Amino acid sequence: MAVASNQYRQDHQPVYVLHTYAFKETSLVVELFSKAHGRVATVAKGARRPRSAMRGQLQSFQMLAATWSGKNELKTLHSLEWADGLVLLQGEALMCGFYLNELLLRLLPREDAYEQLFDYYQATVKALSSGVQPAMHLRRFELKMLQEMGYAVPLDFDENDSPIVANLQYRYVAELGACAFTGAENGVVLSGQTLIDMAKDAYDNIQTQQQSKQLMRYLLAYYLGDKPLHTRQLLIDLQGL
Amino acid sequence: MKNPAALEQLIESLRCLPGVGPKSALRMAYYLLQRDRKGASGLANALSTALETVGHCQLCNNFSELPTCPTCSNEKRDRSLLCVVEMPTDVMMLEQTQSYDGLYFVLMGRLSPLDGVGPKEINLDKLIKRAQHNSADQQGVNEVILATNYTVEGEATAHYVMELLKARDIKVSRIARGLPMGGEIEYVDSGTLAQAIVERKRVN
Ligand SMILES: [Zn+2]
Repeated sequence: MAVASNQYRQDHQPVYVLHTYAFKETSLVVELFSKAHGRVATVAKGARRPRSAMRGQLQSFQMLAATWSGKNELKTLHSLEWADGLVLLQGEALMCGFYLNELLLRLLPREDAYEQLFDYYQATVKALSSGVQPAMHLRRFELKMLQEMGYAVPLDFDENDSPIVANLQYRYVAELGACAFTGAENGVVLSGQTLIDMAKDAYDNIQTQQQSKQLMRYLLAYYLGDKPLHTRQLLIDLQGL
Repeated sequence: MKNPAALEQLIESLRCLPGVGPKSALRMAYYLLQRDRKGASGLANALSTALETVGHCQLCNNFSELPTCPTCSNEKRDRSLLCVVEMPTDVMMLEQTQSYDGLYFVLMGRLSPLDGVGPKEINLDKLIKRAQHNSADQQGVNEVILATNYTVEGEATAHYVMELLKARDIKVSRIARGLPMGGEIEYVDSGTLAQAIVERKRVN
């Protein structure tokens, strides 16, 4: 039977810890984002005991190597090891990190691999740790995440396949993309320049920063449904201080 | 077999304890009623007395039977230092060090953004009021020491408190982290060691 049990064992997988919460008397549920397996829920048995060896390794925003096994939805986490240099998220960057994790927890289905998104998450966390322009990194990640998950976010052409024109106003509607700007109420009004900038990954323009934020907020709300993101409220609260 | 209603209610009530599921609650209830009725009655009395008499200190928010707790009323303590911790047990640990003679503020929790525990759910308003409060002899707080945990939630809490106090001209510091006392590098976890290198301090 050794073969059968090994079949469900994953050794030294690159992962990030997205979230942990108490489970039974002394254990933790550890939500992992794994490169090869996507979002995986595991149980770290006894991890809430004061001298648990796992405790020191349960670090969010830090690339780790995880070993787990099990064929049910909730796997057993056997070990977590340090797998990359230290990435320190502090202050606002830390709050942004929580926001990334909440997005992944809310949008990613379990056990569906998103290797490129994993690499992008790693790059985004590192970029955030530099403390420079966190908003820009969040916009890029939001866009990348929707695209990687297969949601169409066309930026180069309007709904009639005509190229976007920089000085035209558009109404951007989820599932449709950029539509002719009429007085209609749905979607987000933005300039063609914003879409062109986003396609080029250029966020220096102030108007692009503002409109891309509105566009991503609208699109995420569309795909997330009614339940608001806790971490967005916290970021708003912090800016209002 | 069905338990008597009062017993069922006891089992249900015990489940309000953290980490206690239906099986543990059942075991506890049977134990209290069968093996240790005297202990059970002591527990019942202690619980109802505590509920009646224990509230929160108006200054430090820690549990207290008086409006101002003995620590906050102690004239010998340094009123210019205010140490912010997550839980009452953290105060006990810091007191054990016998190395801190300032005052405390107990948040009774921490920010946990992914669980929806925000600033309104912990006692930040009370902390801001406390930090700006002067005692009878006009001695105010000069320094707030952030002693929340070195977890991502504790760090988030420290950051939020720091932002709140920034505009108020109060010195804010964070407790240091690094190798444990007597810690041998060989046996320290990689995370702690990596932090210690990044946050090294100059010695000459
Ligand atoms: Zn007190």
